[in-house]
This record gives sequence, structure tokens and C-alpha cells, in this order.
Amino acid sequence: MDHNEDVIHPMLPAKLRTSLAEHIARVDHPRELVVDVMFAIQDQFGFLSDEAVEEVAQLLNMSPLEVEELATFYTFIYREPVGKYVIHVCDSVVCWMDGYESIQDHLRSKLGIEMGETTSDGLFTLLPVCCIGYCDRSPAILINKEVYGPLTPEKLDEILENLRAQG
Amino acid sequence: MAPTYPQVLLQNRKPDRIATLEEYQQSGGYQALADVLQNYSYKDLQEVLIDAVLLGRGGAAFPAGMKLRTVAEDAPFPRYIVCNADEMEPGTFKDRVLIHADPHMLIEGMIIDGYGAKAEQGIIFIRPEYESAARILEREIKIAKEAGFLGKNILGSDHSMEIVVHRSGGRYICGEVTAQLNALMGKRPNPQQPPPYPTEKGLWGMPTVLQNVETLANIPHIIRNGIEWYKNLAVTETGAGTKLFCVSGKVNKPGCFELPMGVRLSEIIEVHAGGMPVGSEYKACLPGGASTRYLPKEFYDIEMDFDPMREVGHRLGTGAIMVFDQKTCLVAATLNLTEFFARESCGWCTPCREGLPYIRDLLLRLEEGEGREEFIPMLQQMSKHLWSSYCAFAPGATSPVESLITYFEDEVREHIAQKRCPFK
Amino acid sequence: MPKLIIDDREIEVPAGTKVIEAAERLGIKIPRFCYHPGLGSVGACRVCAVKFLEGPFKGVQMSCMIDAKDGMVVSTTDEEAVNFRQYVIEWLMLNHPHDCPVCDEGGHCLLQDMTVSGGHGIRRYLGLKRTYHDQYLGPLVQHEMNRCIHCYRCSRFYQEFTGYHDLGVMQIGSRTFFGRYQDGTLESPFAGNLSDICPTGVYTDKPSRFFGRRWDYQRSPSICINCSLGCHTVASGRYREVVRQEARYSEAVNGYFICDRGRYGFFYTSNEERPRQALVDGKEVSYDQAIREAREKLGELIKSTGPDAVACVSSERSSLETQAMLKKICQTKGWQGPHYFLDESMAQKVKSASSRLESGLAVSLRELESADFILVIGADPVNEAPMLALAMRQAQRRGGKIAVIDPRPVSLPFEFHHLNVTPNEVNLCASLLVKTAVDLGAATDLEQPGIEFYQAIPKLETVSSSLQEQIAKVAQELKESKRPIIVCGTETVRQTTPALAADHALLLQATNKQAGLFYLLPGANSFSASLLASEDGSFLETLEGIENGTIKGLILVERDLLLHFHDRQRMELAFEKLELLVVLDYVNSRTQQRAHIFLPTSTLYEAGGIFITQEGRLQVVPRAHLSGTPIAQVSGGNHPPRIYESEIPGGEPRPGWQALAELVHEEPQPDENTTRSSVLNGLSELNPAFATIPAIDELPEDGMRVSSPEESSPRFSLDWIHELERKESPDKSLELVLVNWTFSTEELSQYSPPLMKLEKEAAVFMHVDDATSLGLSDSDKVTILLDRGALEASVSVKENMAPGIIVMPRHRLLEWQKIETLPKFVSHEEIKKVSV
Ligand SMILES: Cc1cc2nc3c(=O)[nH]c(=O)nc-3n(C[C@H](O)[C@H](O)[C@H](O)COP(=O)(O)O)c2cc1C
Ligand code: SF4
Ligand code: FES
Repeated sequence: MDHNEDVIHPMLPAKLRTSLAEHIARVDHPRELVVDVMFAIQDQFGFLSDEAVEEVAQLLNMSPLEVEELATFYTFIYREPVGKYVIHVCDSVVCWMDGYESIQDHLRSKLGIEMGETTSDGLFTLLPVCCIGYCDRSPAILINKEVYGPLTPEKLDEILENLRAQG
Repeated sequence: MAPTYPQVLLQNRKPDRIATLEEYQQSGGYQALADVLQNYSYKDLQEVLIDAVLLGRGGAAFPAGMKLRTVAEDAPFPRYIVCNADEMEPGTFKDRVLIHADPHMLIEGMIIDGYGAKAEQGIIFIRPEYESAARILEREIKIAKEAGFLGKNILGSDHSMEIVVHRSGGRYICGEVTAQLNALMGKRPNPQQPPPYPTEKGLWGMPTVLQNVETLANIPHIIRNGIEWYKNLAVTETGAGTKLFCVSGKVNKPGCFELPMGVRLSEIIEVHAGGMPVGSEYKACLPGGASTRYLPKEFYDIEMDFDPMREVGHRLGTGAIMVFDQKTCLVAATLNLTEFFARESCGWCTPCREGLPYIRDLLLRLEEGEGREEFIPMLQQMSKHLWSSYCAFAPGATSPVESLITYFEDEVREHIAQKRCPFK
Repeated sequence: MPKLIIDDREIEVPAGTKVIEAAERLGIKIPRFCYHPGLGSVGACRVCAVKFLEGPFKGVQMSCMIDAKDGMVVSTTDEEAVNFRQYVIEWLMLNHPHDCPVCDEGGHCLLQDMTVSGGHGIRRYLGLKRTYHDQYLGPLVQHEMNRCIHCYRCSRFYQEFTGYHDLGVMQIGSRTFFGRYQDGTLESPFAGNLSDICPTGVYTDKPSRFFGRRWDYQRSPSICINCSLGCHTVASGRYREVVRQEARYSEAVNGYFICDRGRYGFFYTSNEERPRQALVDGKEVSYDQAIREAREKLGELIKSTGPDAVACVSSERSSLETQAMLKKICQTKGWQGPHYFLDESMAQKVKSASSRLESGLAVSLRELESADFILVIGADPVNEAPMLALAMRQAQRRGGKIAVIDPRPVSLPFEFHHLNVTPNEVNLCASLLVKTAVDLGAATDLEQPGIEFYQAIPKLETVSSSLQEQIAKVAQELKESKRPIIVCGTETVRQTTPALAADHALLLQATNKQAGLFYLLPGANSFSASLLASEDGSFLETLEGIENGTIKGLILVERDLLLHFHDRQRMELAFEKLELLVVLDYVNSRTQQRAHIFLPTSTLYEAGGIFITQEGRLQVVPRAHLSGTPIAQVSGGNHPPRIYESEIPGGEPRPGWQALAELVHEEPQPDENTTRSSVLNGLSELNPAFATIPAIDELPEDGMRVSSPEESSPRFSLDWIHELERKESPDKSLELVLVNWTFSTEELSQYSPPLMKLEKEAAVFMHVDDATSLGLSDSDKVTILLDRGALEASVSVKENMAPGIIVMPRHRLLEWQKIETLPKFVSHEEIKKVSV
């Protein structure tokens, strides 16, 4: 069945759309690309908006619901707007032993937001995350999928300053 | 003096960069591939891996050669090799270290593994946190292809193979075989109980062999150096090969160490991981990731290999050793671990979806001084019942809980008696 | 066949039977939530745990996931298993609201039952309960996610079983949410089943919300008469009103489910506007008086002009008893008719379908599910008989291939080949396909006419090369199939098509395939009507008789001529010429309002009755409740209703057969049961086909097949070939193809308020090429000039349909009855875009 025959969304840049469509056309099973397509669009806009979900659905001939079934399953698909820098604070057991809580507290007070929130300047979002596989560098965090650790409040300040400076 | 052991998987590891194709080849890389393609039938290969006792390093210790053998001779094509680089087991980071050290070792392992199953499509399933590793692999796959190790008719043989990197959206359950296959097909990554087994009907209904990064990386070395050499790497009688141990927690030098299979836990902690910090005493460790049981002091000298661990009712798991000292509250640690599992449960079956939050609630109350006597049998009972969940996630999830009560019931009772956490 | 022991009792079951089913055969109902026999096992809920003591499995295991095997010893009462199940219930109750008194599922809630029987009575969990937002899912189904126990039945049913993809599972872990992407009406025409399959109150039946508890209802087995399949239902009645209808399991017909048209199509029976009082010239009179006056008037008419001045017309929604009674009256009185079909061509199609449905060919709806190839000739399953689409979906899920030859823009919830040829090409295309697939050399016992028939099929080259390609591709699949089934519609096909379909099925059988044949008929009791229809005279002749004054009296039994006849103006003029129009019906139709004398009849729910499905399956429906105005309507909510009469208010309607009997007999009539028996006893005089059926109370649950002993159309006729030579449509014109839709065209469901809310805008469909040459684009409004004036509709432009036609739904809100003769061609000039 063809799901979204008549829906056309103008939001996706033509270039990205074409390259995605070409990629999809090349594979035997377009559905295997659904996470890639979600990531590609998310990379463009920071998060996966409702329009983007529909866009993904259209590209892969799925229903928006089928895309949502996956989008809401995965940790790294953001269905709500996030800041330019998404900070994932690892809160699993090794980081816990090594004091992630103080890292988290420091970030919260420094940025003036709670976990799950975004700073008003739209720069930072704080999210918890499960063990990121850098237990040898705990306490560790990810910022836009790049790892930082082992952390101290001082190191954190430095990192935040650098990112702020980059805007 | 720290004993030095042969470095096999990490032989080309350097502190600051990744081994290039040339470096890998200089160390003997891709010779095994050439050898296999020329001199082995796919059945020979299966036999070698079985004889070498190469056991899966992803946690379940399934013999790698046997897995290849379960692909029926007349099974349909295309067949798939999936490399499990999801590595979401808390405490585990060996696959990351391996890929960053010497990516071609994995690539070569996959190609040979593909030969053993007559599979021509390889997929590396990798967690999104390992974006840098994913990029490395994509780059090196291209290089391998340009060098003729991948693509059509590899090295003039009739074996062909393509490898692609598949990024996960990020969830622990995606590491489970059948959930991973669903994820790869763009479905919700719920596990799916066999039959059919993936080697019979896996990806897109086709035979699929799924193996861990470390498992695959072992393959070229077994071919190159022989079964005896491989078995002799281990210090235990029944064991074979080396093992990548990830040590973290209360040690001075956390990290990933390649050591003989069967090396003693005490040696790993004291010698290789730099011992415990001053003032810290060993209380327990999780020997193989978050889904193994606490290993109390009485097993401090245990040989870290599948069999010796199994004999005392424990699991080697992924070999990710997380060390807890006498100042660390294990109720709180277990609460943290349960929080992880409750958050990551896929939600398919009742015991895991609802039972884990229940256990978490009880642990939280214990930790906050609201514990009651009756919580203890409830925790025991639920830990037992969670073994009747749909997949292996929940049994793993309850391992810390059950072993907490088995070995540290006193500590739990203290929380109840003192109406607070005695460690705070 | 494996033999095993469950709770000390031995049982032997067919291989492949799950332990949970094996136990059920012993009368042991193991608890379950996710397991549903219609959906199969997935092992998600874990409440069916039992202990395996001996055999290949040991310990606590899920009985729904394990096949019964020899030597198994199973205990359902083992302490460990019982304790585990108790925990499962406790886990499920952690977050389930404790508000059964206000939940509409209360009283038929599986979770409620399990909580009580599973022994979990006291809440130990000290944490808070999880809460969710509910969604608006449309007029049929109410959503209350807090009650969810995550059994996954809904999403599995919705996506896997029905093939629709707008409801499913989102989020993860204990936050898992079942619903739609966004609020909105569910797209599946099977969505109502969610209320049946949900084991708690997440999905409940919206129209009957807060009306009563399951135990308050009089629940009676019934069937659906909203199409010719005759799916089984349970009617729930209360206070003289059917308030809810659910699916009832039928092994042969519908399985576990029904479609939404069937589920919600019953509201005509309690419609407030329903005429319950006899009328003479629009004035309410007693039933007896109306009968008396009708009898008098008929007498006068016959005296002055003779018995053939009276004609009778009935319909496909009347019960067999009523149809037969009318037939008997016409025979004994010498009146004209009865006509059950308005269109002679349709009468012929149904006739040839019912007579060609030999027992060696006929398959049931459920049997269709195991076909490995289904060839649909001229049918649009979702729109005509939705449960057919669902059965086809099951065949497709099991690997069956499906091809549809139909000019309409057919859409199905699964992959299929659509050969969207013009109406004229349907027969040819089907024949070419079968010819390409059948190797005559391999045919064993094919009679000579069959061989000639095969040889007479034109060469593949007669059609366009792109069609040739498609046919070749599909033919290959047909060739490889072992159990192909031909599904043949009657709505838009040519008169010869049903017979042709049967011949093709025979050809397939001759090449050692287990071929089957399945027809769709226009109405619930078309099959029965065609067994009773008389050979001579047609409705059109009767109409002409009225127009030229030879027929002066018309008796209409449950038939709305102003709705069904394609020329409403002509019909109205004819009505004006009539001296006497007697209408017997249970709906407030346009025609009913024109009656000189009106006699209210009772509905299926009040009278019961016999209906024969398109498969020739005779099914008996018992009465659900007595006739009478629903108490809610009588009293406006007052308790008790303050009407003091010895009769039930609004209880006048009588079964059609009874009303007819009284209409023609001077002496007082016996009660309706006696009348019914007498008409049923005389059935075999009306058609020998009925001779084989046993007494009504001896019929099996699923009814039984009657097959027509007549060979009205001979095998392997070549008529269809001559038809091919018929002139194509006039130049620059489009053939009007009148069709039915899932909702808004079927007569009885038009009286259903919830279904009205599901109606789509009345649009006509046009091929993109035709639209282009007419300068039209999608959603344009057009006027279409028909013989009796213009109608306005919006245009839906499609690629997946035949060019050269306009597909027009017989939509409730579209006055399409402006056509002089059928087939009708509309020229380009007659289609004008409306500028807004
Ligand atoms: C919940 C769960 C998570 C798992 N995660 C991983 C993982 O991240 N990486 C991995 O290699 N194996 C993981 N496994 C084990 C795999 O299911 C599988 O046994 C393994 O990948 C097979 O490869 P091997 O035989 O080479 O070990 C997981 C198992 C379970 C039950
Ligand atoms: S145990 Fe059940 S809910 Fe948990 S991860 Fe496995 S299948 Fe999912
Ligand atoms: S009925 Fe068996 S697990 Fe749900």
C-alpha cells in the first residue's frame, strides 16, 4: 500500500532529499535505512520534528506511525527541539561510582537548567544517558556524540567555555 | 614486575592512533584470509574454529564455529554476517578499543567468517555513541576494498563480500541477537524467540550469523598460528585464546587489557589495573558487565575463564570487571544498575517491563531508609521469576539483585534496621 | 498425533497444537492476555505459564509458546507456576487503575477475571501509577491508555492481521504507548474489533459507552446483513434496543472478526425515525385496520382489472421466509412477480453465480485464507465486502499471491497485482491470464466443450504489450499455485462474467489444481432471492406495466425503489400512476413515505430469519428481542417509563412473512411461528434446492450449503466472446460505473449515526488521462450532466484505474439516480468544471 500519496512537505532541503532518495533507491530493503534517514534529517535540524517524521515516512513509504514507533524507541532520536549542544551525562554504575552526580549537579547549576531542559539561548540541552562505553574515562559525558572524560568540574567549565565561544 | 603476556588482538595498539592497513599487513594481517581462500573449504574453516574452542565474546560464550555450522548446507542465499558492535553492556568497552586499535583485524575476521557461512553480505551494527569508531570502520572498509580484500572475487577466489556499517539509534536491547536483526530491518527492536533461529531465518528471512567484534577479531589469528598455539594462549586447561578485560571502578588504572584467558581476578586488579586506591578494599566486582552476579571476596582469586566461573555459579559475561570497594553501598549500586535495566527494557514482556520498575522501587525505598523486612523475600522471588521473561535481558538484569541478597543480605538488613543507608 | 498429560489427564492433539490449546480441549482454560487464537502466540504477557514436569521442556514455561509433544507432563496448578502467574497479575496491576466501577470494560474484562482468579487481591506496591494521555480515535473506538496491560494484541491485530498502519506501538519499556501517531479517526475498516480483542478497557465500543454492563444485555447470536458474506455477530440488546454488536466466532465464515460496517450497521433497527405504526394515506391507524383496508383495495383492484394488475417486489435484505411467502402469494394469487432484483442483468448474474457454484468448486471465506493464489475478477473487496479483503490478507500473509482484474482504483491492505483494465476487457483479461497459466496438455479429464472453450480464447497478442507483460507475470504465479481461488464480483462485471469465472475455475481444476470459486453477490439474501426468482417477467416490464396502466397495484416488501432504481424521476411518475402502493418495511425510506398503505415490519433482530450467503450457506438467525420502541425513546430517560398500555409501545411491527400472510388471508392468521413453519415446509415446492436442508433446529452452527440443482447457464459457454465484439463506448465519452463503498452506499448502514461520521466526501474517480483531456485536476468540483439533470461531485484523479470510465459511488449524499438506461455513457461535454 502506498501510504502518504498526496503529502508533500517543503521543509527538507532539495539536496538532502535527493541524496537520501538516491541512497534509498540503491538498497534492496529501504526500511533498513530508517535510522540513517532519521539521523540525516535530525543532523540538519537538530531534532526530528513532526514534519520530519512525515518526511521520513514518505521517503521510505512507511506510515508516520511506523516511523514514530522507531523514533520514540531510540535514545538518540530527539522528538523535541534540543540545543545546539546536546550533553548526555552518563549515569550508569561506573560513572555513578566515580561521581557522575556531582558532574550533573555542576552542569545543572552552571547552565541553570534541569535534566531534560534546554538553555534559553538554545545552546545546551542536558539529558541523562545509559553507559556510553567509556568506563575507563569515567565520569564521562557525550556532547554531540563526542566523548569527554574523566571529568572534573574545572574541566567541565573549560569545555563549556570553549563551546560557548564557538557559539 | 608485571608479567607480560603475548598481545594478539591488541598487538598493533598505539596510544595515539589507529593501525593502518600497512601496519596491519606488516603484522601478518590478511595472510589468514589468503590462506583460507586458497586452502580451506568452508567446512574446514568451521572445523578449525570449533577445534580452537573459540567461544563467543559477546557474553553468551557460544562456540563460534558451531554457529557457522548451524547454517544448513542447502540454506538459501543471500546469507548475512552481522558483527555485533553494539557493546552496551555497562562496564564494557573492549570492542571500541579493538576497533580504534586495529580495525582491519575485525574486517578480516568478518570476511573469513563470511567464507565459513558462504555469506557475502556483512553488516557491522554499531551503537551511536561510537560514532568515531563507525567512521573509522567506514573509511577502512573502503581501503580494504581498494586493496582487493573486499568486493567481488576476493584475491581471485570465488568468495565475494561487501561490508556496511549500520548505526543504531541507541538502546541496550539492540545488542541481543534477534532484537538486533529486527533493528536492522527497520522494525521495533524487540527480541524474537526462536525458532526459527537466525542462522536459519534471520535478516530478511535469510540465514544470518551474528558475532561479537572480539570473537571475529580472533579468527585471523587462529588461522595464522594454528589451533594449538591458540589454545596455549590460555592459562586454563579448558580455555583458549586471550581475553580483553575491561577494568573500571575502584582501581588505579582503569582500562582494557589483553590477558590470557583464565588469568586470575586478583592479578588483573592488582597488577594490570594498578591495584585499588589507597584506603580502598575489595568488596566485590561485577566480573562480566552489569548483567552478571556480584563476585564477593571469596572468589577474589578465581580464574577468569568461562568454565571456572560457571563452576561457582557465576558468568564471565563480557569480561568487564567493575570493582567495588568496602565504602561503596551495594544497595545503591544495585539500585543504579536496576535503574539502567528498567530504563532500557524494551517493554515487550510483563516481568521485565513491570517487574524491574517494581524492584527499583523496593531498592529505592531500602536505600532511602524506608525498607521493610518483607522486601527481601519479594526481591528474591521476583529475581527468580524474572528468569521466566521473554529474553535473556531480564535474567541478566536481576543478577545483581539476586546476588546482592545472596552475598550481602547483611548490608541490606542494615539499611532496614538503621532506616538509612549506612554508607551515607 | 502427540499425546500428553495435562493436570493428570491425557489428551491427544494434532501436531502443532500449542499446550494452551491442548489444555483448552480438556476444559482447562489457562490464563492468557497476549495469546489470541486468531492472532497466534507471541509470548509477551507471560501469564500462561505452567510447569512442565516431563518431556522435552522442563520447568515454568509459557504454554502458548510450546507445541504439544509426546510424553509431556504438564501441571497448571503447580505451586511455582501459580505463584509466577500471581506475580504477573500483580505486575500488570501496578499501573492499572482501580476504577472498574466506571470502566466500560467492567464485567467482561479479562484482567478483572484474572486478578480475581489469579489470587492477587492485595496491593503491595507502594509507588505511584503511571498515567498516559488518551487519543481521539474516531467515532467507533474509545481510547483509555491508562488501562493498558501491554499485551500487544491491538497493534498485532491492526498492523499484522489487517494490514493497516496508523495504529501501533510507540515509546519503550514501561512507557510503551499504543495508539496513533496523532489524534484522528482510525483508518482500518476493521478497527471496531479492537474493542473485542483488547483484554481490558483501553479500547471500548464508543457508541455504546456507559450504556450498560455486559451482564445487563440480552446477548443473542445474530448475523450481519450489510453485505452478502453473512458474518456472525452477537447482538447485545437492552430495553428493547440493540446497543452493541460484536464479532462472533465462525469457523467457516468470518473467523474471529467482523468489519465496522457490520459491527455498526445495526442502528436502523432502533432509529428514532423508524416507522412503527401502520399508516393509511399518511394517517396512523391500527395494524388490523391497515390490513383490512389494503385487502379491500386489493380486492377492488383485482375485481376490476384481474389479478395481474397487482405486482410484488421484494429485496435482497428480506429474510428467506419473507421472500418465500411473497413468492407463494404471487403463485397462488396470480399476481405479478415477485421481483427481487431491479436490474435484469444483475438478476442473471446472480442466477448464474448461484447455479454455477457447484459443491466441488465452492469455498468458504475461511477456506480462502489458505489459497496460494487468488484471482479477483471484477470486485473491490474492501468496498464491497470488507471481510473478504481481510481473508485475502491472511492468504497473502501465508505467502499467497493475489491479482485483481478490475477497472476501479482498487486499494487493498497488502501487496497485489492490479490489472486495471476497462470494464469491457475484464473477461478477456481473465481468460488470457488463465489460458497463459493453464497447460492444456496437462489437463486430465476435460470435456470437449472445455477444450473448445480454451481454444476459443483469443491470443495474448490481442491486448496491449504492457498488459501482455503483466498477464504473463501474473500467469506464472497462477501456474505455480496449487490452491488457486477465483473470486468473482457481480457489481460491475458483464452478465457473462460469473459463468466465465466458474469455467476458469474448472479449467484450473482440470490441470490438477485444487481450484476454488468464490462469488460476491449484491445483497445479504441475493442467493436465496435467485433461488426463488421467477424466470418470466422482469422488474422493468412491471414498471412499464405501471406506466401503461395495466398494473395498478404494487406491493413493496422491504424495498426502497427510490433509492435503488437508477431513474428516480421515472419511478416517482410511476408511483403517481398507481392506484395502490402498499409498502411493508422497517426503515423510513423515501419509498415508504410514498405509500398509500404502510405496514411496519420487524427487523432481523426482532423477527429472526434465514439468510443465505453468497456461498450458498443457509444461516438461521434467532430473534434478539421483541419489537417495541426502545425505552430510552419512549420515556426520555424516566424510570419507569410512564406509559400505561397493555401492549408494548411501538410493538406493532410484524415479521414480513406474517404481515404478508395477513394481507392475503381473510380468516384470522395463526401466530408468526406457525406461519413461518408453514412457509419453510413448503420451500422445496418453490425450489427443489431446499429439499436437502434439515429442520431449522438441526442446522449446524455455521449453517449449511444449499446448492442450486439447476444448470441455468451451461458450462463453457462462449457467449462472453460474442460480447467482446460489442461496440466500445462512443467516442469522447466515459462509461459510468456505479459502485459501492465501505461506508455510505450500503442501504441499512446509511441509518447508522456513527458510520455517517466515517463517510468520505462523495467523489467520482477518473483516470489521469481522462482528467487531463477534460482539463481537470484532483479535487476539482464538476457537474456531470445525466439524463435527468446534473449532479455535482468532486473529482479524484487516479492512475491505478482504467481510462474511459467514471467511477461513481452510490453515495447517500449523491443523487445519482438520474439515469435513463444502463450502461450509461457520459460525453466529455457533459462534464463541466465548476469554478469557485
Ligand atoms: C540484552 C542483551 C544485550 C546484549 N548486548 C550485546 C552487545 O552489546 N554486544 C554483543 O556482542 N553481544 C550482546 N549480547 C549477546 C548477543 O545476544 C549474542 O550472544 C552475541 O552478540 C553473539 O556473538 P558471540 O557469539 O560472538 O558472542 C546481548 C545479549 C542480551 C540478552
Ligand atoms: S525480558 Fe522481555 S521486556 Fe525485557 S527486554 Fe527481554 S523481551 Fe523485552
Ligand atoms: S498468553 Fe502466553 S505469554 Fe501471553
